[in-house]
Amino acid sequence: MDAIVARYSRTAGVEHDDLRGEEQYDCSAPSSLPLLSLPPISQPAAFLRAHTDDASNPDCKIKIAHGTTTLAFRFQGGIVVAVDSRATAGSWIASQTVKKVIEINPFLLGTMAGGAADCQFWETWLGIQCRLHELREKSRISVAAASKILSNLVYSYKGMGLSMGTMICGYTKLEGPAIYYVDSDGTRLKGDLFCVGSGQTFAYGVLDSAYKWDLSVEEALALGKRSILAATHRDAFSGGSVNLYHVKESGWTYYGNHNVGELFWKTKAEEQSFENVPTDFTVDA
Amino acid sequence: MSGYDRALSVFSPDGHVFQVEYALEAVKRGTCAVGVKGSTIVVLGCEKRTAMKLQDTRITPSKIALIDHHVCLAFAGLNADARVLVDKARVEAQSHRLTVEDPVTIEYLTKYIAGVQQRYTQSGGVRPFGISTLVIGFDPNDDTPRLYQTEPSGIYSAWKANAIGRSSKTVREFLERNYKEDMDREETIRLAIKSLLEVVQTGARNIEIAIMAPGKPIEMLGFDSIEQYVKDIETEKEAEAAKKKPRGGQATSN
Amino acid sequence: MDVILGLTTKDAVIVATSMAAVRGVSILKSDDDKTRVVAPHTLVAYTGEPGDTVQFAEYVQANIQLHGMRNETELSPPAITSFVRSELAKSLRSRKPYQVNILIAGYDTATEKPYLYWVDYLASSAQLPYAAHGYAAYYTLSLLDRWHKKDLSLDEGMKIMEMCVAELRTRLPIDFKGIQVKIIDRDGVRMV
Repeated sequence: MDAIVARYSRTAGVEHDDLRGEEQYDCSAPSSLPLLSLPPISQPAAFLRAHTDDASNPDCKIKIAHGTTTLAFRFQGGIVVAVDSRATAGSWIASQTVKKVIEINPFLLGTMAGGAADCQFWETWLGIQCRLHELREKSRISVAAASKILSNLVYSYKGMGLSMGTMICGYTKLEGPAIYYVDSDGTRLKGDLFCVGSGQTFAYGVLDSAYKWDLSVEEALALGKRSILAATHRDAFSGGSVNLYHVKESGWTYYGNHNVGELFWKTKAEEQSFENVPTDFTVDA
Repeated sequence: MSGYDRALSVFSPDGHVFQVEYALEAVKRGTCAVGVKGSTIVVLGCEKRTAMKLQDTRITPSKIALIDHHVCLAFAGLNADARVLVDKARVEAQSHRLTVEDPVTIEYLTKYIAGVQQRYTQSGGVRPFGISTLVIGFDPNDDTPRLYQTEPSGIYSAWKANAIGRSSKTVREFLERNYKEDMDREETIRLAIKSLLEVVQTGARNIEIAIMAPGKPIEMLGFDSIEQYVKDIETEKEAEAAKKKPRGGQATSN
Repeated sequence: MDVILGLTTKDAVIVATSMAAVRGVSILKSDDDKTRVVAPHTLVAYTGEPGDTVQFAEYVQANIQLHGMRNETELSPPAITSFVRSELAKSLRSRKPYQVNILIAGYDTATEKPYLYWVDYLASSAQLPYAAHGYAAYYTLSLLDRWHKKDLSLDEGMKIMEMCVAELRTRLPIDFKGIQVKIIDRDGVRMV
């Protein structure tokens, strides 16, 4: 009880010293931050790197799942979100069936690149915060606010080894379709089109070349799918299958799982593309 | 005394928290404040204490405080308590902008203020805020006028028009009789001033008026324009009084 | 390789910032705004560690606006600079310092003078007629040393700013996706 009194009996002058985001905001949202214990070492990030970085130390004991291609873009008909499904730990393909789109709630999607656990945990946590906001304010949270809650959170853990590159995608009456890029160094950017992950450059290549605001929903979904396919073809750390989503005013809809193995040959045949890959394996006599 | 009013966080056997009720007494002794919603604006009116002869009225703080560009608040009760609460509200308004990018909604801020007031009724070693507040303003990207009231107990409520402080019952009853839906700017300001005149005998010199409109900065009405309203209201009242008593002295021009 | 550049004229300050937001090998955004308006007549432009920049600028912005609400006055650019500098000095001696370099451009309505301050993450601060951070400084400072004069008109100032941008476009090895220019004068902050 003394602690509570101490908190409220501070003079007004002292209080402005700590107008520092969470502390103030949490007054109204107690217990919103889960308590995580930190390892008893001075540099958590360096410690984590020493034991997890496969590139500098192939013998490291812990290998974190990495390597991804994810994309999201805004267009006339809302937002298309497309991701691959491969998880790698070093050169080992750990899984081909990872869900890299996190369904935060029926109106918000988050994508996953970097540490799978970090993204999954914090985006689920974000879902809780969004629901609490909804209950308290009697209205749905804006995409701007949701993404900012996440970016403030990851910023508070800056330098401690979180690894996330995510896009928060949603649709509200006020904002229309909105995409925010949020990553673990605390960057938060609003934009029309983002690709994140080791295969981002390959996805950008296809996406930028065919992207228009006026795309129809069907065209947009096809373009999202095709861009991920391009990345899975060139980036060794991306693959498996493509998961597709469309976000519009009434919320998001899932447009299926498309296995890259079949999708590739089908696309190649239809487009007459991927010319570097031969279809005819007969040896000339 | 019963002893149940000694510590704050102790109920009396019949379920009262006396300190909170005493706080309400402090509110009743404070100068009066009214809030009135019109169709496009919302108005706060305050009774101002008569300044003493040597007091510098220009520097004496007002009972109307701006919390953020789009929200303001008037209070009745202990002035010094209000300063603390106003400051907390201002910090929260900026903190909210910082953490979720949007300015606070009026309801959010009201809830926050009421929340602070409530906490001071349920912890040891503290005293409740001896103030009630009227919070007015417009939510971001919205042109619905908002008016809320908070009390020392932490109760908050929404109103079309309301009064707090000294003689608030008289003023509220006046507002109940005279409030109309969809009042324009002039009518709204006029009703606020007219209701205050029920308890403020000294006229324009002791009235303060703040007006908020969507997307616009707060507007404090100058002494001259308040005086104009007061004069208009008085002449109208005289005319009505004369109408009621046609036999008394001068005849009316019917 | 962000470009952050400012110069004063007789009664205004011109601030130019690059519009690219780069992360790793990709330009993620080509209309990024690296400035925050902290008071009606004062602008903060920033570059540095991603994350830290925006967090620090918005923290400063919230505190200055809070001060404005509490005291019903606008802080002068020198006062704002003192505050920013002291916050950076405090942060420098903390466990995790903000790594942010800043230009503060403002117009003091009381003295009717424009102000430009250069502040770095080590909490050094200097009032200057023209200033820049990062690689842009290497190209433009000599140019500004040569052409900047006292009491420039706004048009002359804009000409010099255009010269700076032209130089950056020809010599800077990466594409910074264009420059956003803002003017701060007695009417407040406006985009060109």
